[in-house]
Amino acid sequence: MKKVEIEFTINDKKRKLSVKPNDLLINIIRNDLYLTGSKYGCGIGECGTCTVLLNSEPVLSCLTLAITVDGKEITTIEGLDRGDELHPLQKAFLKNGAVQCGFCTPGMILTATALLKENPNPTEDEIREYMRGNLCRCTGYNQIITAIKSCENKLKTS
Amino acid sequence: MNQFKYISPKTKDEVLEILKEENIRACLVAGCTNVLPNIRDKKIVSKVLVNISDIEELKGISKEQDKICIGPLTTIAELINSEVILKEGKGLHQAAEQFADPIVRNSATVGGNLVDASPAADMAVPLLALDAILKIESVERKRDVRLKDFFIGPEKTILQEDEMITGIEFESSNINKNGYFIKLGLRKAMAIAVASIAVNLEVRENKIARIRIAMGSVAPTPIRLTVIEEFLKNNEVNDGLIEEAINKVHEEVDPISDIRASEEYRRYVSGILFKRAFEKLTL
Repeated sequence: MKKVEIEFTINDKKRKLSVKPNDLLINIIRNDLYLTGSKYGCGIGECGTCTVLLNSEPVLSCLTLAITVDGKEITTIEGLDRGDELHPLQKAFLKNGAVQCGFCTPGMILTATALLKENPNPTEDEIREYMRGNLCRCTGYNQIITAIKSCENKLKTS
Repeated sequence: MNQFKYISPKTKDEVLEILKEENIRACLVAGCTNVLPNIRDKKIVSKVLVNISDIEELKGISKEQDKICIGPLTTIAELINSEVILKEGKGLHQAAEQFADPIVRNSATVGGNLVDASPAADMAVPLLALDAILKIESVERKRDVRLKDFFIGPEKTILQEDEMITGIEFESSNINKNGYFIKLGLRKAMAIAVASIAVNLEVRENKIARIRIAMGSVAPTPIRLTVIEEFLKNNEVNDGLIEEAINKVHEEVDPISDIRASEEYRRYVSGILFKRAFEKLTL
């Protein structure tokens, strides 16, 4: 199959890659760029573990063709920290025991950054509503909600 | 061997030319939320993927005189954020708020949901109740089709291989402003409807002046319940009328049993959904 060259920015770095027309963004991120924080879960848009930010909006990278991100900006979980300092949401997840097996955590945190950007001070119901597509098979939802709630009004500088 | 090609046109006219040239080989992709699972399952093989997601002229919501126009590439998230949709087509706004989850809503498009033609399509049901018109174009011709006449079977529409939807329109009117949508799913997030309903109603002097009822997941396509609409028209609103209407709903739907619910349950719950939606609009 003929490959096509694309160029995009991922975690503030410019990258050039040759991709097949039907390559999934999640596979390119994990297998070609070795950014294995984003997880391949269900592959059909049911679980949210593959969430990445595309031009600052959360999208499912298992439902995105890699070829369509040409010229766009992507942020994965690896792009959230500032040097040695973790992102406030990452700290909050650690502090509140919101990480069990950790498989859903990257998707949870990226979705939560988008929520807090839209709504810096969400109620518990609003958090549950916004996070409803991100599944945690360890069922540690309460700790996740608490962690996100503890970050209200903290993300203005990031 | 499974071979895909890729084209990324920048204008609507370029897309129409590509559709004429590639015809059955072309597969339009925008939000990809339905196309990619189908590629994965090899239900879509060896196509020319035509990425239309960057064509600005097919996006956005506008109000022109007495018409609301929605670009087919408008995302579900954009519908939710639209004051125009909230005011002019409340049922559609409610359906958008219940669509999949907030992440998928950033990608999925209104046009994609319609051409996918699932009997459960969440956008089709409120748009049927709004009596929406589809603008359909090919290089050779343009035509307007009522959404009611668009679906012909599960995942089947009247759209020809060289055609695409270029606009979705509905009237700015009293009946369209007064709408209500209910989706019954097995859970809140990502659920495919067990049954869904949208009702638009205009009452004058306690009589039903105009009513439109649409349902999803209770027939081979999203449907309008025209028999019961005719029955209700010009009648006075009272409890007896609603009870009689519920029985007629049971007769007019044509559901199947599947993994989500049985035929009997769908038939029964259709009447309940009708009652709930109707009461929301009249009480």
